[in-house]
Amino acid sequence: MSWREALRLSNVAFTELSLQAVYAFRQGNVLPPGRSKNLVARSRRLVVQSKVVISAVLALLTLGAAAILHLKAQSPQIFSSIPAGLFQSAILTGLLSLDIALLWWTGVQVIPTLISSGVLPVLEPLPIDPRTFRRVAGILYLRLFDFPALTIIILTPIAVGIALGPLAGLAALPGAVVAVIYALALSLLTGRFFLRRVQGSRGGGGRTVVRWAYLVLWLVPAFAMFGFITAAPAFFRALGGLAVQGPSVGSGLLVAAFPFSFAALPAIVAGGPSSVAILSPTLDLVLGVAAAAYLALAAWSVVWLSRSVRTLLFLPVLTSVSPPAATFSLRPMSRARAVLVKDLRIASRTPGYAFLILLPILDAGALGLLTYATPAQNPVAASLALGAVTTAALLATFFGPAFFAIEVIAYSYGRSLPLSNRSVILGKVALIGSMYLIAAALIVGLTLLRFFEPFTFVAFVLVELPAVLGAALFELGLLFRWARRRGLAITNLYAGAWVAVLVSVPGLIMAGLPPLLFDLARSSGVGFGLEVMTLVAVVELAISMPVAFGRGAS
Amino acid sequence: MATAYPASSSVPLALEGISVAYGERPAVQQLSLTVQPGEIYGLLGSNGAGKTSTIKAIVGLVRPVAGEIRVFGLDALRDGLATKARIGYVPETSMLYEALTPREFLEFVASVRQMDAATATRRMRSYAEAFRLEAELEEPIATLSNGTRQKVLIIAALLHAPPLLVLDEPLNSLDPRSVRIMKDVLLRYVASGGRGVLFSTHTMEVAEQLCQRVGILDRGVLRGEGSLAALRERVAAGDASLEEIFLRLTEEDVGVRAAVDSLGDPSV
Repeated sequence: MSWREALRLSNVAFTELSLQAVYAFRQGNVLPPGRSKNLVARSRRLVVQSKVVISAVLALLTLGAAAILHLKAQSPQIFSSIPAGLFQSAILTGLLSLDIALLWWTGVQVIPTLISSGVLPVLEPLPIDPRTFRRVAGILYLRLFDFPALTIIILTPIAVGIALGPLAGLAALPGAVVAVIYALALSLLTGRFFLRRVQGSRGGGGRTVVRWAYLVLWLVPAFAMFGFITAAPAFFRALGGLAVQGPSVGSGLLVAAFPFSFAALPAIVAGGPSSVAILSPTLDLVLGVAAAAYLALAAWSVVWLSRSVRTLLFLPVLTSVSPPAATFSLRPMSRARAVLVKDLRIASRTPGYAFLILLPILDAGALGLLTYATPAQNPVAASLALGAVTTAALLATFFGPAFFAIEVIAYSYGRSLPLSNRSVILGKVALIGSMYLIAAALIVGLTLLRFFEPFTFVAFVLVELPAVLGAALFELGLLFRWARRRGLAITNLYAGAWVAVLVSVPGLIMAGLPPLLFDLARSSGVGFGLEVMTLVAVVELAISMPVAFGRGAS
Repeated sequence: MATAYPASSSVPLALEGISVAYGERPAVQQLSLTVQPGEIYGLLGSNGAGKTSTIKAIVGLVRPVAGEIRVFGLDALRDGLATKARIGYVPETSMLYEALTPREFLEFVASVRQMDAATATRRMRSYAEAFRLEAELEEPIATLSNGTRQKVLIIAALLHAPPLLVLDEPLNSLDPRSVRIMKDVLLRYVASGGRGVLFSTHTMEVAEQLCQRVGILDRGVLRGEGSLAALRERVAAGDASLEEIFLRLTEEDVGVRAAVDSLGDPSV
């Protein structure tokens, strides 16, 4: 059979994948009331919408990077401690890192759906030759990333070309292509890891702890997306230091590291090797060898991807063969707690959800540690600590709606149980509140060692809690109302990103308003600032109650 | 946290003229039936006859466009949580939380049902032993075979000893040993008094063995209802099997012959 036939079959498989990603019929979801027509077209449209949202974010990042490059070219006094070429390389390093992180994150979200939807195993019994089958799998895999990947590959050279000149733009192309290939390979690699080590892990004993430990390790690269933004000031300071030193071991490590070795190419084309300042003839060679090695690795990744995609979609989950325990017991709990425990157990075998739980906590650790980079007794550092708590609150609230998507798993069965929306909402709000408290406790623990202001820090954390709970109640209340009306209960990044983003907006405002007012009011005293914050947070919690538990929601 | 069911009526299930539709497509039309205490009622029908839609309406997964559903006298459409508490449900497809293990899933179900730990553990152990599920209790559900998943769903439905069991093709994918156990469990279940079972199947032999009464659904309409003897009398066939009765009532007996004739020789 031909490529044309493979394309046709992959189109059928992609349609099925879209349908399952949105409506989850294979997980028992029922037909939405009154909307049985055009389900296929609607699901494809929703998937396209989500891809467009992700592509738009990538495009904004790219255009933002280009705008910064243009600004630096117009006003060299900005970041004057860093030579122009090194600055351009740093910005493109950040952009390529973010591109990989976002594309990889998308893959992490969609690959479990791809596997559970079983779209390729359905085709297996048909008389399709192995080569065509491999092509179908490859095309299907590429289609998961098509718009976002094309955005990176097309827009990066154009944007860099506009900012630094056409030749520099062309020099940005290899980095963009390699970044996309790596993201696709990482998605597949972590997909296999997920199947073998996380989804296939037995329950009970200390295995849950081991799974979470695996997940933390696994998520650290994905954390780069947020961590890079957080660590950007420190990164620029380090670059300034390297520029002063000139060529050094540190410079050698930097030019050999991906994606800097590609990000430096446009700057070298635009301003020559001297513009990057940290280069020398030896380091030029290191950069060239590193770039060639990364290109070779990308080429090997393409071959590996073409061979492995099909295997992944048929990969049986590996399980241990250890003998079962002699006795098992059940420990029933309250309904809301059961929802919380169920979500944590599911997240411990589902990296997409684990990421949402771990990100605010990892971020809190990173921000808490960042305060150590500021001089002691610096009021800015104390503000940084309070800002870190606010960030934890905002992150916990922003990702809250995504936990609603867990209910799509076995959605139908769950609705046959005597479980009220109220219990479900309470369970999920408890999860979001716990995430915030753990992240905030981590920050307080780290910063108290540095700035001993226990009353202010602990009071700030506790006063913000009602606002976080209120925001979570508000978001989940809206989602339940929406799901009831539309009969479509999915809000993951791949199939319904716009819903999750839309619902997050009022939640972010609710979680962000009390700290903002604290900041404005504390010039009249910290105590007054905390009083204002308390009042607003409690009012927000009161307002959100009817949204979550009033008529039409629960 | 003992489970108690103060019944306001002794009739486990009563459907009064329910209609279910998906958009403009009707799935069930004006269906009325009752499941009496101590009765296993078989709902028979071809694929797409409306069996699963009827069951989904009973357990609250789809809302009927008309009619009334009462579970021990409680209005299922108005008091969904109370009626769901009285029902044990096995769905047609094994839709479970794939990332949980059977023990974790059963613990979640026991929590939602507000069972006490001792009772939940005792029942889980005895059913797991009966269905030989002990070795899989701590394996993720994603790794289990369809038959094993079906056993998990059956245990989840039986765990709280509900007064009404609603089973949608419950014997699908089960091995012969488990089918036999399930049949015996159901017969003992209703024999203990007051309980009822609604059982959908298109396997006539199973219905003949288990059900006191059957209802025959065809394209969303109840074509006949009663005991096997009553149905034989209705179609005027003294020794007809349930399969023959089914085909006559759904007017498919002629259609089946015509379809087979039209196929001709399969080897050609």
